Amino acid sequence: MHEMSLVQGLLQQLRELASEHNTSRILKVTMVIGPLSGVVVDSFKFGFEVLTRQDELVQDAELEIVIPEVGYRCSACQNLQKTAGERPHQCAACGDTLLIAEEGNDLILQQVEME
Amino acid sequence: MCDACGCQTHTHDHDHGHGHSQTHDDSVIVEINRSLFAANDAMARSNREHFDEERIVVLNLISSPGSGKTTLLEHTIDRIGSEIKIGVIEGDIETERDAERIRAKGVPAIQLTTGGACHLDASMIHRGFHQLQKEPGGNSIDLLVIENVGNLVCPATFDLGEHTRVVLVSVPEGPDKPAKYPKAFTSSQLFLITKTDLLPYFDFEVAEARKEALSLNPSLQVMDFSATTGEGFEVWLDYLRELVREEKGK
Repeated sequence: MHEMSLVQGLLQQLRELASEHNTSRILKVTMVIGPLSGVVVDSFKFGFEVLTRQDELVQDAELEIVIPEVGYRCSACQNLQKTAGERPHQCAACGDTLLIAEEGNDLILQQVEME
Repeated sequence: MCDACGCQTHTHDHDHGHGHSQTHDDSVIVEINRSLFAANDAMARSNREHFDEERIVVLNLISSPGSGKTTLLEHTIDRIGSEIKIGVIEGDIETERDAERIRAKGVPAIQLTTGGACHLDASMIHRGFHQLQKEPGGNSIDLLVIENVGNLVCPATFDLGEHTRVVLVSVPEGPDKPAKYPKAFTSSQLFLITKTDLLPYFDFEVAEARKEALSLNPSLQVMDFSATTGEGFEVWLDYLRELVREEKGK
């Protein structure tokens, strides 16, 4: 459940942004959660729900989550296979099984809508 | 700047150039595009620079509880403690027990208790390292081993500033851990299969565990041994000797 501490970090960033932009209400937060980031989307949503309840700034904020596709590069033929689903077992082009994930590791605060 | 040592800590590198756009209802949309890992990653980079300046090799051990991290350390200290100066940072949710086991071997060790948190992060290591340096012998170590909180999930997400991340699976846990907990294996450089003296009693194929891990991370180095009987242990010790030699030669 490291999602809870990640949401705490997010709220800290939101407070800084709010004071920078002189606002007292955040309406919407858009996060990009890479499928390989080790972050469980449901746990992140739960953490956001629980922790925003105690804070007027974000009490009514909507959380939008974008899950990007991950590219898997074949180590034999360099073919790039993109998927939002499970890790492919083999390369669609040559059948080799050594695929290396590119991106999909990050957890990004993309956009904030505020009053 | 860090108060304890004056080393560089880069925590204020965020960019203020957000794009702004106006929407209806007087609300403002601000583009941020900043990683939530950015603060931890910056601290981890600063830790790594600091370790390099001091010529210390740093390992981060990750595994489930009970896979033998502390026992591995005890046997490692027994075998090469006289040639390599080892220091240990222990991470646990509660108790000083692991640090006490290591100190009993005459090696500087400190315990970080996270009080419920499931992982260590880079700022805890920053503070922990300064604390370790104040322990007897803590100011002249060659190899720092960080024993993370026993958990194969959360620690995999946090860079501590280590040079090598080591994931352990013991024979009684079964060979399917790489498939079930991929992030620990894709983010590590070394995979240790421990307690191989128990292979006759468990349904564990070393070749299968190896294959599963390598299919996730083809560059992973894999070793299997029993720290208790010493079988296969020399390969691990040679690996540590080589890491320390390389770091000293940088």
